[in-house]
Amino acid sequence: MQKYPIAFAGALLATMLLSSGLYAQQAPQSKEVAEALAKRRWNNSPPVKAAYANRRPSRPAPKRDLSGIWDGTAEGGVEGNGPHEYPAGDNGNQISGREDESAVKRQLPFTAAGLAALKKNKPGVGVRSVDVALANDPVNTGNPQGFPRMLFYELRVFEWAQLKGQWIYLDQFMQNYRVVWADGRPLPDINEVEPRWFGYAVGKWTDDYTFEIDTVGVNEKTWLDNPGRPHTYEMKVHEVWHRLDYDTMELTVTVDDPKYYSQKWNGLEKFIVHRLPDTFDMEEFIYSGLETSDYDDLLGTKAVIGKGK
Amino acid sequence: MNNRFLTCVLMAAVLTFSIPALAHHGNASYDVTQKPTIKGVVTEFIWANPHCYLKFDAKDENGNVVHWLVEASNPPDQTREGWTKNTFKPGDEVEITMGSVARNGQPIGRFGSRIVINGKVLKG
Repeated sequence: MQKYPIAFAGALLATMLLSSGLYAQQAPQSKEVAEALAKRRWNNSPPVKAAYANRRPSRPAPKRDLSGIWDGTAEGGVEGNGPHEYPAGDNGNQISGREDESAVKRQLPFTAAGLAALKKNKPGVGVRSVDVALANDPVNTGNPQGFPRMLFYELRVFEWAQLKGQWIYLDQFMQNYRVVWADGRPLPDINEVEPRWFGYAVGKWTDDYTFEIDTVGVNEKTWLDNPGRPHTYEMKVHEVWHRLDYDTMELTVTVDDPKYYSQKWNGLEKFIVHRLPDTFDMEEFIYSGLETSDYDDLLGTKAVIGKGK
Repeated sequence: MNNRFLTCVLMAAVLTFSIPALAHHGNASYDVTQKPTIKGVVTEFIWANPHCYLKFDAKDENGNVVHWLVEASNPPDQTREGWTKNTFKPGDEVEITMGSVARNGQPIGRFGSRIVINGKVLKG
């Protein structure tokens, strides 16, 4: 049992490093591969960004409808170094081990308390990255990444499904889900409810094509992103999902947490996601304890640090 | 503008994009300046999270068998490049150009710019 956190830590770090690089700069895809993938019925893969270029809308946006399978990968949704608008890594992670984020190009408006909280979080990526053995990322020990980290990291393929009075967000990464109530209920008083990893969320249509979600009550044990940006239990997160046409939607995610940040900030700002076909079969993307343990033994931290096997 | 020219352009683009992407993983444990090309025979291909990896046997300069491990990305990333769990099969003869190798001297690497399976270049 003690093996699992070590395996998970190594696996997570490796995935962050590999995926952040691979998808920060997505490799082109040959015509043969694209055609072969398009014929698949199972374990589908979303198109690369170039495939969406100059694509004309297939039809107008439906009214008050988010439903369907969506792709965040093509536009850079794999945010290994932090959310799209505020990455905490330099170009190629040449800087590490810094005490703060003064080396980051676009800096977050930390308050003194926020900065102090940031320094307690030891990430495996970004300018403050430490060796995985010293990292204290809660995800490394098997905890859920929580919200809004599910949008600020591995925003790949997801599905919005509508049930009576609620929208369900189904996430490819780790096969997580999230419930957004849309039956008119108000948000809870966070002092009256227990903290949740994914918070308490309510949403409403502000026009026929814009769905806005407010989330509160997120467990402050979660990090906002891979580089370890902190938040308080009082944090509020506001999402705007705006349907541009049938095939395209944009997402803005605002973090409002005045104890730690002197201003609201957008981790994602009009970030484009693309509609995938209804027949798209989402490939599983789960780090199981068994597989990550094997990986760590052979290729992970224990194998490549020090003397090795 | 024939197919051969287009293939060359595509390969150049792949190399241009994939090398910096893999160089990005040059953390302390990996030496990105070492990109050896190793020939060998596949013993196993593991299609799993967090990352897929290949096991193959090669011979060193003294004729001793070395058990290499080469890491790819996660299954969704590799699917996007056209890989499947059957991309490598035991007994396949491979020629792998590494993108980096472990600094500690272990025969561990990460896939680089070129993969040849049974004489055929694997297209991404």
